[in-house]
Amino acid sequence: MSLSSTVDGGRRLTAGRHTLGLFRSELRLVFGRARTQAGLGVLAAVPLLIGIAIKLSGSDGDAEGFLGQVAGNGLFLIVASLGLSLPFFLPTAVTVISGESLAGEASLGTLRTMLTAPAGRSRLLAAKMVALAVFCLAATMTIWISGLIVGFILFPVGDVLLLSGTTVSLGEGLLRALLIAIVISLSLLGLAGIGLFVSSLTSTPLAAMAATFGAFIVLGIMTAIPQLHAIHPWLLIYRWQSFADLLRDPPYWHEIARNLLVQGAYLVVFYTAAWARLTSRDIT
Amino acid sequence: MGVTQRSRRWLVPVTAVAVVAGVGALGPVVADASPKLPGITAQDLLAKVQTAKVDGLSGTVRSSANLGLPSIPGVEGGNQLSELLSGQHTARVAFATPDKARVSVLDNQAERVWTTDGKSAWAYDSSRREAVKLTLPARSAKPDKPQAAPKNYDPQAVAKQFLDAIDPTTKVEVSGTEKVAGRDAYKLRLVPKTDRTTVGSVTLAIDSKTWVPLDVTVMPRTGNDPAVELGFSSVSFDVPAASTFTFTPPKGVKVTDKKVPATRQAPHPVKPPKAVGPKGEKAPAQRGDKPTVLGEGWESVVMVRGVKTTGNGPVDQLLANARTVQGSWGKGKILTSKMVSALITDDGRVFAGLVTPDTLQAAAAKAPR
Amino acid sequence: MTTPQEPPPPAASAAPPIVTRGLTKRFRGGQVAVDTVDLEVPAGSVFGFLGPNGSGKTTTIRMLLGLIAPTSGSVELLGESMPKAQLKVLPRVGALVEGPAFYPFWSGQANLLRFDAADRTADPRTRKARAAEALERVGLSNAAGKKVRAYSLGMRQRLAIAVALMQRRDLLVLDEPTNGLDPQGTREVRNLIRELASDGTTVFTSTHLLAEVEQVCTHAAVMSRGKLVRQSTVADLRAELRPRLVVRTPDLAQAAETLKGLGATDLKTTEETVEGDSGDLPIDKFAAALVAADVRIHGFGLERPSLEEAFVALTGEGFDVAE
Repeated sequence: MSLSSTVDGGRRLTAGRHTLGLFRSELRLVFGRARTQAGLGVLAAVPLLIGIAIKLSGSDGDAEGFLGQVAGNGLFLIVASLGLSLPFFLPTAVTVISGESLAGEASLGTLRTMLTAPAGRSRLLAAKMVALAVFCLAATMTIWISGLIVGFILFPVGDVLLLSGTTVSLGEGLLRALLIAIVISLSLLGLAGIGLFVSSLTSTPLAAMAATFGAFIVLGIMTAIPQLHAIHPWLLIYRWQSFADLLRDPPYWHEIARNLLVQGAYLVVFYTAAWARLTSRDIT
Repeated sequence: MGVTQRSRRWLVPVTAVAVVAGVGALGPVVADASPKLPGITAQDLLAKVQTAKVDGLSGTVRSSANLGLPSIPGVEGGNQLSELLSGQHTARVAFATPDKARVSVLDNQAERVWTTDGKSAWAYDSSRREAVKLTLPARSAKPDKPQAAPKNYDPQAVAKQFLDAIDPTTKVEVSGTEKVAGRDAYKLRLVPKTDRTTVGSVTLAIDSKTWVPLDVTVMPRTGNDPAVELGFSSVSFDVPAASTFTFTPPKGVKVTDKKVPATRQAPHPVKPPKAVGPKGEKAPAQRGDKPTVLGEGWESVVMVRGVKTTGNGPVDQLLANARTVQGSWGKGKILTSKMVSALITDDGRVFAGLVTPDTLQAAAAKAPR
Repeated sequence: MTTPQEPPPPAASAAPPIVTRGLTKRFRGGQVAVDTVDLEVPAGSVFGFLGPNGSGKTTTIRMLLGLIAPTSGSVELLGESMPKAQLKVLPRVGALVEGPAFYPFWSGQANLLRFDAADRTADPRTRKARAAEALERVGLSNAAGKKVRAYSLGMRQRLAIAVALMQRRDLLVLDEPTNGLDPQGTREVRNLIRELASDGTTVFTSTHLLAEVEQVCTHAAVMSRGKLVRQSTVADLRAELRPRLVVRTPDLAQAAETLKGLGATDLKTTEETVEGDSGDLPIDKFAAALVAADVRIHGFGLERPSLEEAFVALTGEGFDVAE
């Protein structure tokens, strides 16, 4: 293509190509912040602390579950850390980042500038959601990598004992741990969707974070009340623990699929609600 | 863009909620639409069931029990019997003729496995990382199923005999068809003729090709939710690979060798909760003497004597809230639920059954002291 | 009904860059912030948008840019209907809305890059060069790498203008562009506006500083309590103002008496002047009368009132002067 034809087309010709610029910029905004890096740092410390605690206590597999297997096989540090981060650390991180996403821009006033740039409201929302999804994956992968490093340094590593009593190679074990990290990051998407929606309602990021975390706590309490068992399958975190089904032989997909369907349902509902809110909202 | 036009955007999330709720509520209904199958009588169906013979199967069994039992505070977990009597459970089962079977109960982040390849049997508990091995005695090459059947038997005759026998107490009918685990099945329904039981009906789903029962559902007399449902959520009638039934104790797992009981109880592939065997069940309350069965059919009541009912915190608490009743049989407390009723007399007898409280008291009145 | 005599429609380039019809915004409380405003900004003009605080200027600007939705009425920007065509139109519009807003934890340059990346028509290959040029134009080249957190209000204001200058624009919408700037910065921004206007960019700038309008604007509109009370060229606005007779004298009472006697109206007395509307009477008659009445005259003449007075006359209220 000659130079003149490129110039000729001007903006129109290249218009479609630059759509990704906003998404890249959004990732820089999320991951460039000290707050995000500190959060990922805390998550990276989880395997380290667990690993050191187990090493110091010298316990040799007395504990039940994945924690008890760490001393025998460092690979289980990944699984145990992911499992232990799931009820609190990971949701907290997702709550902070998602609560910040739109409310943060609104409170800074940059939302105005972004919209007159123009970013386009639907497109900006999509970029925010993609960045949140990438953050969810980054958060679980941080634990995965940290758990891998710490586990391999502190503990012996070898073939992996599955829940069903069969043993698979270390490579397959790592692959399954990776799948667990991915499944857990997908499990966080429903919460991220709620956070994004709440964030679209307010111009105060702290309020958005508090409300999102409050919703998470309420869902947790509802999941713990047996009388509500009829609606349990619909609750966001009811099947969060199903990631462990990946350690069966063969993996049991039913609950994982259900969990992901529930996450998808929450995501669709709250994402479209955030869309309705953002596209109809007066930006002041 | 006007204000009304903007508020119309909220129709999108509202629609999303409706679609999600619709798929969630109606999806299973649509998927389980009754298949079209040729008509069949109950007797023919029962006859077919007896001829059912598969060389192997594997699948996932899901059970859910909602007996309406009061939850006893402080007795959560640690008790497999009470655990299996409530809530939902999923197990993977596999079976191959003549004597290979595997059941693994999929617990939360753990798994309990019982498997036998005919020569040895294993029980494995992943949460404790303990395995128990049973070496089975050498056995004759004869497969045990056909052995159990009489030499000259006519399935039709047996079916008729069975129907005649239960006719006074129970209505038996083919009540339609349904899809179970993706297979077309006939529904065989048994309805008690008496109103003294809490059981509303028992429905079996029977596969229309292999004539294997795929699902059993017990409905209470009142309410629309099954009290017990046990059935396949997926099933394959391919013979599973032999390796499915072997167990190699992994490194780091404590293995206990155990003596073989004289009459081996192989885990039944279809009913995993019954197969909890090797662990042994601790009864929830203190043991009394041997239970006696009073009455018959749906009205059967079990009596246990000499049960110490005080000094057990949670049970005391439960009884404190129970209704006090008295009659010619004496005085006691009665506990009722949707399915099960229990009468605890002050002289230490316990009557229980799938019957109404009145039936229970009537049984107590006739019972030997 | 069409008549053959009607002139042909103006060429697209000459179409007014901003047209509003019956633009109204009623907030949820029922308060009407902008009330049936018909604004028409001619192409190539530097248009001063005047009004006291709370008169609906910023609300109008937000509606122009599609940030808030009008309750009724319509906005056309560069010939396209807003906010429907915003993704098409806004890349050609540079905007600064209600004070500078940035990511304080990023450098000025990083902020420019993000806002530019949000516009999908902006070429990423030239992004850095354009950012450098925009920073240069507003005099922030030296502070480009500094975090915005460390910027002064004036620097932020310049950076906000730099955002609007990242690309060649057909229209600039600037809300109080000189707010927070020192006199030197104010002068620079005014020069910048003149420079851009001479390149053919239409500039729509809201302000509460009349001096700004007098110095740079070709057109002006005045808002008061949500209503557009006047719009015309600045020259017309001035021409309409009646000149006033001003007498500088120590004998205030006597002078006032004399002027009144000759039919002057709207008399006002300050510490050392008496002024009024001389009506149709030539002013030499007043001079003669004052001399005859032994009024000591230190100064005498007709003075054209400032826009500020015109503004007060139109809105019935003064400016809350921020500076």
